[in-house]
Amino acid sequence: MHYVIVGGSAAGISAIEAIRSQDKEGRITLVSDEKFPLYSRCLITYFLAGKLAEDKLKYRSSDFYAKKKVEALHGVRAQRLLPKEGKLILDNGKEIAYDKLLIATGASPQMVEVPGSDKEGILGLRTYRDAQLINGRLDKVNRVSVLGGGLIGLRAAYSLHARNKQVKVIVKSNQVLSQMLDKGAADLVRRKIEQKGIEVMTGLAAVEFLGGKEVTGLVLDDGRRLECELVIVGKGVRPNLELVKGTEIKTDYGIIVDDYLQTNLPNVYAAGDVAQAKDLITGQSTINALWPCAVAQGKVAGLNMAGKKVKYDGSLAMNSIEFFGLPVISIGITRPKEKEYEQLIKEDEKNFVYKKVVLRENRIQGMILVNRIEQAGVMGILMRKKVDVSSIKGMLLEDRFDFAKILPMIKEGKQLFTEREFEESIISY
Amino acid sequence: MKKIFCDIKKCLGCKSCEIACGVEHSTSKNIFQVIKEEKKPRQRVVVLSTTKEPFPLRCHHCEDAPCVEACMSGAMYKDEEGFTRHDPDKCVGCWMCIMVCPFGAISRQESVALKCDLCPDREESFACVEACPTKALFAGTWDEFKERLSQQKR
Repeated sequence: MHYVIVGGSAAGISAIEAIRSQDKEGRITLVSDEKFPLYSRCLITYFLAGKLAEDKLKYRSSDFYAKKKVEALHGVRAQRLLPKEGKLILDNGKEIAYDKLLIATGASPQMVEVPGSDKEGILGLRTYRDAQLINGRLDKVNRVSVLGGGLIGLRAAYSLHARNKQVKVIVKSNQVLSQMLDKGAADLVRRKIEQKGIEVMTGLAAVEFLGGKEVTGLVLDDGRRLECELVIVGKGVRPNLELVKGTEIKTDYGIIVDDYLQTNLPNVYAAGDVAQAKDLITGQSTINALWPCAVAQGKVAGLNMAGKKVKYDGSLAMNSIEFFGLPVISIGITRPKEKEYEQLIKEDEKNFVYKKVVLRENRIQGMILVNRIEQAGVMGILMRKKVDVSSIKGMLLEDRFDFAKILPMIKEGKQLFTEREFEESIISY
Repeated sequence: MKKIFCDIKKCLGCKSCEIACGVEHSTSKNIFQVIKEEKKPRQRVVVLSTTKEPFPLRCHHCEDAPCVEACMSGAMYKDEEGFTRHDPDKCVGCWMCIMVCPFGAISRQESVALKCDLCPDREESFACVEACPTKALFAGTWDEFKERLSQQKR
């Protein structure tokens, strides 16, 4: 058996671990176009901020490939896929024949297409190489414009602020983190980062970049000009579909996979930011381009590739992040549009506290927690198990809410809480 | 694999486990000296209460640990025996682990995560288990714990 994995980040590494848990001997080859192996992309902004040494970027030890008996080809791009022949052609001319293939090629930053966008100094921030490129320019940079107020945009702003640059964040919508938070929570984050000296400008977009060979500024859609020596683009990502283009592998926004993370071809699987899989809450086929989802998908894909039939629960939009000591967690649906949803909110603006739970037919559909995040996972398990929470609704957002309060529900819902750890906690209850 | 279990019916809610855990994770490991330590130790077991009775909460070292899966820095990991370990040097305080822990058994200590580490400085048993006056807390395997509960019923 020859397993071939394209992509060496969260989904790819997780798949290797899953395959090896089932198949100790099968051959595994990993192909990654990145030279720097086994690092966590989520740590890139900490690295750029100067808060994390380069060796700490690795989230698996350097002997990982040796221990897992993986032939890892780094700095090599998988250029063409010939599914009928079961072959992959690399950019160094080599061919690899596979029995099972995992496409975990991830996504790339969505860049801005306006006049002047080809100037030097306009960069995305996703990979180690991106961080190096930015690092290499920083000596001649005083002012930075960040386009996009999402997670990457704000993390980029945070890290460049930590490097003593003057940072402005330009956001198209009327709030930061619009994918993750509602306005109430987003305004707390905005206040926090503005207090620390990062300027946030909402309702604006860049329409032109100024300068010669290198960027020296930009023009906003209200006509204003901003001067800056560096532009970071954090406008989301799009899946890397180049490898499957022109093959019979079905794509929509990403590569379409079934509940076993298999594509429409029997020996080809996809996982991570490139895979369009089922969403746990909405049931729709979507991409939740998030680290924990990529790890979970890589695991399920790897297990299935190794012959153990495992169904994927579905991905959950969830994120956790901290800005200047203000922790923020968001899970599931946080800004429902339909009126069938019930929203419970508790705010303490002065102390930067915001808690919100979104319910539908007494089942948790989503939540936002700012500055009081400790019970996120307890509420999260009620959400995942789709438990009726009507008996504790009044308590959910109280400070006294914790795991002990859901013990009766676990006892009643034994058929849902099948993991042994839940049995351990209620056996004497 | 030996871990910590609790017979809820025996728990009085005296919080001896919390104190013992705090002392175990202090510099001096002495309850009288702890008070003077500059950096106060934090306990990793917390006695919560259901609507009726106390419930000591600690990390369950889940077989399929969500915190390990969600950890983006490799700080949370499984050791060879299957215990869930945390390396504070690798932790960046992103709180992905808190986001997914179904027990709420992970807390924040300044900028890193904090949870039960099964008393690495002890060769036998655990501080909380030893301190429990009613033997509600129990160190052993899952089968041993079930055996003990069924013996008590007889």
